[in-house]
Amino acid sequence: MIPLSWYLIVAFMLIGLGAYGMITKRNLIRIIIGAEIMANGVNIALVAFSVYTEVFTFTGQSLVIIVIAVTAAHTALAMALMLMYNARYSTVDLGEPVVSEGRRHE
Amino acid sequence: MMMQGAEVLLEQAEFIGVAVIVLVLAYLALEHKEITYAVFFFGFMAAAVAGFYLLLEAPFLVGLQIAVYTGGISALIIFGVLLLPRAQDSSLEIFQTARRRRFGLLLSGAVMLLSAILAFFYPWSDLPPVSPPELAQSLQGLAAWLWSGHGIYVEMVALIMLTALVGSVAILKMMKAEELRPLTTESHPESAGKKDESGSSSAPQTETGEGAKEAGPE
Repeated sequence: MIPLSWYLIVAFMLIGLGAYGMITKRNLIRIIIGAEIMANGVNIALVAFSVYTEVFTFTGQSLVIIVIAVTAAHTALAMALMLMYNARYSTVDLGEPVVSEGRRHE
Repeated sequence: MMMQGAEVLLEQAEFIGVAVIVLVLAYLALEHKEITYAVFFFGFMAAAVAGFYLLLEAPFLVGLQIAVYTGGISALIIFGVLLLPRAQDSSLEIFQTARRRRFGLLLSGAVMLLSAILAFFYPWSDLPPVSPPELAQSLQGLAAWLWSGHGIYVEMVALIMLTALVGSVAILKMMKAEELRPLTTESHPESAGKKDESGSSSAPQTETGEGAKEAGPE
């Protein structure tokens, strides 16, 4: 039997790793990947909680389905925003110097 | 009894193997220098996370995880990277400063530490995992749970996805409308050559392109 705390440790490590990526990275693609890694950690914790109970229910699994759908939706939206950012500033790195007319300094 | 002990050991070894693979792939997805490889590592990580669902006996989620994350989201990000040639060039990527990296490490380390304390010391349920129903009954039960009593939430998810889809299209249309500078023939070397020969002015690409074709050398 695998203890519940093992799953939680892995889930929290993934959440921490995703948070690290979202905080430190400047590349938009890496920031999106960081958010996805965090979502994966949350999903593992949800399924583990739903299994280690007295009576089996589908609550955890259903929540994970909803989280996966919402994650897919926000990824699509984030990619559209990234393309827009790239079209305006010619880069996908946040915080690069830009000029007022929206073109990046070369 | 001995067989049971061996089974438990095997299960724990499987868990540790999957956990190591997932964590290493997640780290590589964030830290690999080449962004294209990083996205691939993320896809493999998502597939490896399905191993946890197998251990937790959630077969539907295994399929969903692989189909949506590995097949959908990773592919979407790869398409995004392929659309942006600048993003593929790792030499152009701006990496974090040492200070920002230290701050990120500190903050995520604090999150992990607090989470570890929570995982180990909070009195979580000591109950053994309940054995879920058989596969067919499991899928049937999941469908019944989703559509009988909680159909409204499924509808809400569908609505969220539709909104995201419409929003994405609207953003991209907005981007097209807000183009800061219309494309001119200067950006294309061949067209620029034609333009020099024809001596046309810097009109937008469509007009100038046609003009260059019409006034080409005869």
